[in-house]
Amino acid sequence: MPSVSHLIPTHAALPRVFFVFCLLLTGCVSTPQTEQLLSRHPTPVPLIHHVEGVPFFPQEKYQCGPAALATVLSASGLAVDSEELVGQVYVPDKKGSFQVELLAAARTYGRIPYVIEPQLQVLLAEVEADHPVLVMQNLGFSWYQVWHYAVVAGYDLTRAELILRSGKLRERSTPLGVFENTWRRSHYWGFIALRPGELPARADERKYFLALVDFAQVNPVAAVEKGYRAGLQRWPESRVLGFGLANLLYEKGDRQGALSVFRKLIETAPDYAPAYNNLAQLLAELGALDEAIAMAERAVALGGPRAASYRETLTSLQQQKPQ
Amino acid sequence: MKYRSLKQFVCFLMVPLMMLAGVTAQTQAAMISTDNIAAEVSSDLGRDEIKSLLDRQDVSEQLSAMGVNTADVMDRVDAMSDAEIAQLHQQMETLPAGAGALGTIALVLLILILLDVAGVTDIFPRV
Repeated sequence: MPSVSHLIPTHAALPRVFFVFCLLLTGCVSTPQTEQLLSRHPTPVPLIHHVEGVPFFPQEKYQCGPAALATVLSASGLAVDSEELVGQVYVPDKKGSFQVELLAAARTYGRIPYVIEPQLQVLLAEVEADHPVLVMQNLGFSWYQVWHYAVVAGYDLTRAELILRSGKLRERSTPLGVFENTWRRSHYWGFIALRPGELPARADERKYFLALVDFAQVNPVAAVEKGYRAGLQRWPESRVLGFGLANLLYEKGDRQGALSVFRKLIETAPDYAPAYNNLAQLLAELGALDEAIAMAERAVALGGPRAASYRETLTSLQQQKPQ
Repeated sequence: MKYRSLKQFVCFLMVPLMMLAGVTAQTQAAMISTDNIAAEVSSDLGRDEIKSLLDRQDVSEQLSAMGVNTADVMDRVDAMSDAEIAQLHQQMETLPAGAGALGTIALVLLILILLDVAGVTDIFPRV
């Protein structure tokens, strides 16, 4: 989404904007997520939590993107400051930063960006797990857009508010309802920056897998492997994570490691054709041609969208067999 | 060594590169790559998201009030190609923020328009 963020430019129109804002607020704005969250007893997360050690980078001019990114990266243990990020994520023409660039920059710094589910409850769960969340807000309206990035560093449900590192404010307390409104306009967009091996508090196994695949494009194999292994600890049955790990081990030349992961995978997911196909190829390389052919035959029998590739594998293996 | 033209220089660079690419492609041919699986997963997630939207009670009620059977639409979504799903999903992402906050009728109209664009339904006649 080509949205761009920046802070409200200070000018004389502000009081008028504020007046209209108040007018519109008094009628048509509802905050279902906040209401649902506050009406639940007990609340799904502890009442108060502040993430320790979330630094603050006061924002220069429109550069909330670099400031927010530096905040989450530093909180994850990296020595970065917002200045060095400006060149990477700040687009002077737009006076802001694109969301994809923030994610890409987090990857180049060795962190796995994970875009959270678009729910207040999930946001709080991440904060509670000490993952500060970089969020995108539209502080204006859908028709008067004032995009802004901030970092949620804590919350206090007894007062129904969030603590944000935002703009030039180290501790900006924002009522949950107001936050929900400003966050909704960005489709509830926010992400956490995970150290390899660290998992989101609330995650979908397939989305985590996709986050790892993107992370792998620009990061060393060892870091990606950590990510897969952590994922498989939480989701031991995950076929995509098992498949990704086995392929990664194969690519780095650890054939025995790959072999044992593929073997385990076909046990937990006996109907997963791609695993049989790759296992067949690997077994052939290891000299176990008969077993390889048996595996390739299973892949062909299971079929699916890659059936043609499986048949190719089988044919090529059969051709390798001495007559 | 001098090259008479840029084209010649580029050819000089590209030919060994392409040969190299050909070689790696050959040794990897039989392996299904992780990227390949990732493309499929991402398409599945898009499909699930679209279907969960159609699954909402208010949406399906409104759809049936307009004479559209939700189950039919679901079947069509299942039958759509990965590229179509990606297109539809992308269009849904660009809906006014928080489609959930929109009135049901507005949302249903948007879905129908998007499905129409993707060729799933044919409610709005082409001009």
